[in-house]
Amino acid sequence: MIPPTEMAISFSCLTLGAAAGFAMHRSDFCLAGAFRDWFLFRRTDLLRALGFLVALNAAAFAALGALGALPVFPFPLLGPPTLATAAGGFLFGIGMVLAGGCVVGVLYKMGAGSVLAAVGLGGIVAGSAVYAEIHVPWRSLAAAGALPRPAVTLPGLFGASPLWVGVAALGALAAALWRREAARRGTPSAVRGYLTPARAALALCAVSAASCVLASMPLGITTFYAKLAAWGEEALWPGRAGGLAYFSAVPLDVYLPLWDTALRGGPGPTWDGIAAVQGPVVVGIALGGFASAVRLREFRLRAGAPLRQYGSALLGGMLLGLGSRFASGCNVWHLLGGLPILATQSLLFAAGMVPGAWAGSRLLARFVIPAAVSGGALSTLVAAPDRSP
Amino acid sequence: MKPTVRDLDIRGQICPSTLLTTLREVNTLREALRSGAVELLVLTDSRDATHTIPGAVSSMGYRVEVEPRDAHYAITVRRRGP
Repeated sequence: MIPPTEMAISFSCLTLGAAAGFAMHRSDFCLAGAFRDWFLFRRTDLLRALGFLVALNAAAFAALGALGALPVFPFPLLGPPTLATAAGGFLFGIGMVLAGGCVVGVLYKMGAGSVLAAVGLGGIVAGSAVYAEIHVPWRSLAAAGALPRPAVTLPGLFGASPLWVGVAALGALAAALWRREAARRGTPSAVRGYLTPARAALALCAVSAASCVLASMPLGITTFYAKLAAWGEEALWPGRAGGLAYFSAVPLDVYLPLWDTALRGGPGPTWDGIAAVQGPVVVGIALGGFASAVRLREFRLRAGAPLRQYGSALLGGMLLGLGSRFASGCNVWHLLGGLPILATQSLLFAAGMVPGAWAGSRLLARFVIPAAVSGGALSTLVAAPDRSP
Repeated sequence: MKPTVRDLDIRGQICPSTLLTTLREVNTLREALRSGAVELLVLTDSRDATHTIPGAVSSMGYRVEVEPRDAHYAITVRRRGP
């Protein structure tokens, strides 16, 4: 029996997830696409929107911190830096491009009817299961790669205060820059129910901030994927998951003053704090994408892709699952939650993820969607106007 | 003479297959598109492609129109001008 308080927390998280999924579907706010399209086409609008969102979150977290609304700082589940996080980020970067979306992108796309995204989701769960098998040696490797000064945030590394004011100023500056940028653009869209990336970023910032207030941490979902893997293993191979060290870990142990309750949990195959917080976010994002697509009359089960694209989605999903476990979090957790407070782990994740996305883009264009353009870089073709006729 | 319409149905594919495949087709049909003998009709369910394809193909000198249809979008690429 789930306690009423935990049910209320779960319902709040479901609502936040649904809002995020709805906004992401309306704007196609694909975090994987932001990096992939930069490398493939030199397209930067999504990347700028992502930068805007990171800055907005920095400002929002700073404001919440100044108001005393962040009960746990740095956020729970953020750990000291290790080079293993960068390695995980690299795998994650490749995976999100090959899967056609990140751990969140596959959810709202699946909700809107994409079978490829569902295959990617299956890959993420499978990758999480693979990680559980190699958790112990990986943990030793991660310990060997630990940086000498174990500070969770960059300000902490230098013994400084959280730099709320400085971070907030940076956010305000970025917001002002974006407004200038948005004023220059603003091309009308033929797409139904379109939400500009800037507006989607505002919505996602509100969701992130609400998550910090309600659950004492920003959005994160990948430990729940590992939990799905554990449940799956228990169903297929009873006793197996319980015998693995990773599934016995309980990384979340936090008190939520707003609800006057404590949440404890991990990837193990039981209902716990991770299931109560992350599970509803996962379901909510998919439901948000579904609701948006249905409302626009765009929902259709879409399964007409060539076989190699399904292979890419599955492999990419597995790399997402593995990478997020190696890095103790995904791009949403690190880029939208950790980076705005200059978490050292998140900086390392980003340092690994960006070259990973570049490598993934090369692999995608070479093996998955080959021969798009013969004899030249895609960006050259796109950027250079054909003067004819 | 009325141009021939070449259909390119790429619904349900992985991102950014829509844009990559369209660029390939535009590249392949370059001469026919430039002369006005052919128009390319792309059917896609990628919402993002309704921005990326017009952006990319317009910069290559073509005229692009996007039209919502049922649960997908039709993007027409043709020569610029009369």
